[in-house]
Amino acid sequence: MGAIGKRVAYYPGCSLEGAARAYDVSTRIVARELGLELDYLEDYNCCGAMESKNVTFMGTMLLNARNMSLARKQGHNAIVAPCNGCSFSLQRAEYFLETDKAVFDKVNALLREGGVDPLDQIPQTYHILEWFYHEAGPQKVKEKTKRPLRGLKVANYYGCLYTRPHFYARTYAHAGGQEEARPRRRETADDDEHPYYMNALLEAAGATSVEFEPMHTQCCGGPHSLSDEMVSEKFVMMILQTAKRNGADIIATECPLCHASLEMYRHRLMMKGVPDVDVPAAYFTQLLGLAFGYGVNDVKLKDNLSDPIPVLKRLGLA
Amino acid sequence: MAIHERSLVEPERILRKERLVVDGVDVSGDWNLIILPRVIDDYDLDFAKEIINSPDGKTITQCYQCSYCTASCPVHNYWDERYNPRHFIYLARLGLIDELQKRADVMWRCVSCHKCTHRCPKGVLVEEVLKVILRTMAKKGLIDEYPSKKFDKFFTESVLEYGRIEDGELLFGWIEKQGYKVFKDPILRKPIPFIGETPEWLKQLTMKPLKSMNISFLVLNAKHMLFHPRTKNWNKFKHVLRKVMQEEGALN
Repeated sequence: MGAIGKRVAYYPGCSLEGAARAYDVSTRIVARELGLELDYLEDYNCCGAMESKNVTFMGTMLLNARNMSLARKQGHNAIVAPCNGCSFSLQRAEYFLETDKAVFDKVNALLREGGVDPLDQIPQTYHILEWFYHEAGPQKVKEKTKRPLRGLKVANYYGCLYTRPHFYARTYAHAGGQEEARPRRRETADDDEHPYYMNALLEAAGATSVEFEPMHTQCCGGPHSLSDEMVSEKFVMMILQTAKRNGADIIATECPLCHASLEMYRHRLMMKGVPDVDVPAAYFTQLLGLAFGYGVNDVKLKDNLSDPIPVLKRLGLA
Repeated sequence: MAIHERSLVEPERILRKERLVVDGVDVSGDWNLIILPRVIDDYDLDFAKEIINSPDGKTITQCYQCSYCTASCPVHNYWDERYNPRHFIYLARLGLIDELQKRADVMWRCVSCHKCTHRCPKGVLVEEVLKVILRTMAKKGLIDEYPSKKFDKFFTESVLEYGRIEDGELLFGWIEKQGYKVFKDPILRKPIPFIGETPEWLKQLTMKPLKSMNISFLVLNAKHMLFHPRTKNWNKFKHVLRKVMQEEGALN
């Protein structure tokens, strides 16, 4: 433990400043309670998410390199992002910048041209869940828990990109046969196919995890949740029904995009009368916040469109 | 006889014999004509070269067609079995553009879940490679506009303009692009929910925060919709970004 650092650059991403405000607020609460410090990345820009990378390669490298450069300017070697899309984009850029010298040189030249400091070294990006698990861990969560989430059955939904960017750090001679370009595996990474960090943290806070494989890492439709509605709807239906039929009271999420997709399509599926889809969703930090003794308004549970408050009230947790 | 990967065989390539006996053996049923010898001479090897020369597509050379990507793919498994990443890589490497074009209606459906890339035993960045194939086809005018590309460009332009995106703008802008008449205020030309034409589900969904009286949430998002959040010191960087994207042909 302690491989990442107690004080890191915090890259919230666009979504957390608007529609996913609850995640931002509750993340700060949990970090403060666990004795960790988030240093807000001033004047950051969008990471390009899963959309821009389909249009332009160099553009996304530049977008992410700018954020990395800002983190270096604030004196950090580690960036923490609470969004799967953001942490993926930064890790992807990290991979290409590390393995491809031509890309690295070109990006640095362009950064200088754009009035941003070039990268002297490439900071590492971690998902916030990884950071909480490694810098605080379940033991600390247990100590801080004032109101255990007793009786709450949680389906821990990780989404695609939480476990699956780590291939970038563990494959063979990538990058067109450059044998020496072989980045190390991220030691702090969660298990690839059976992630458990969120289960561990929420169980430490007193909740019960329900069986949720393989839907815990099933895609929610992600970047196509607006442009390819039929596919997204089917994927979300599979996720929600598996959770409900396995007896979950609530789905814990750790990505604002997955969360929005689940809530939006849950609503549409319920309008269509599809059975077993009425499981509400909440960010895992909101649930941890409740366990640490904060109120419904402190963790902004009312922002959740799927309304988890009745479920939590029934169990006496809200 | 069952045909392996049935979705890859067009109907005209199937030979059906109700009763066929060869050398005393009954072989009636469906036969795949793909086994018949044929000559393909309209391949384009430059297509593969262009992919190999791009930084995110060069791992295409390492593929040994084990089909682990296709077996993992949720779009293949749960939506449309014609979506077959292994086959797209195969066709792109051979340069069989017309075969790729036949599958243009499903090729854009990748949801970027990265199961393929994650599980590839050869370290091919399958998801990236598929996107490069699609991008190269679009650049050469071999494929029509497809829904995800429209959205990707719309998203990227928003990033380019402001440095940050805003959920409300994306949502309403996209709905407008789909043909709904969104009401806009006359001064700032920003979409206003509840008034113009919006899909029923969205109307109900946006009504919900009103009901639970979460005023601060509404105010925050309304503020962001009216005054788009921006990155400071963005202008100089924006020009560099735009230049780079023009070089790649990403803005056409």
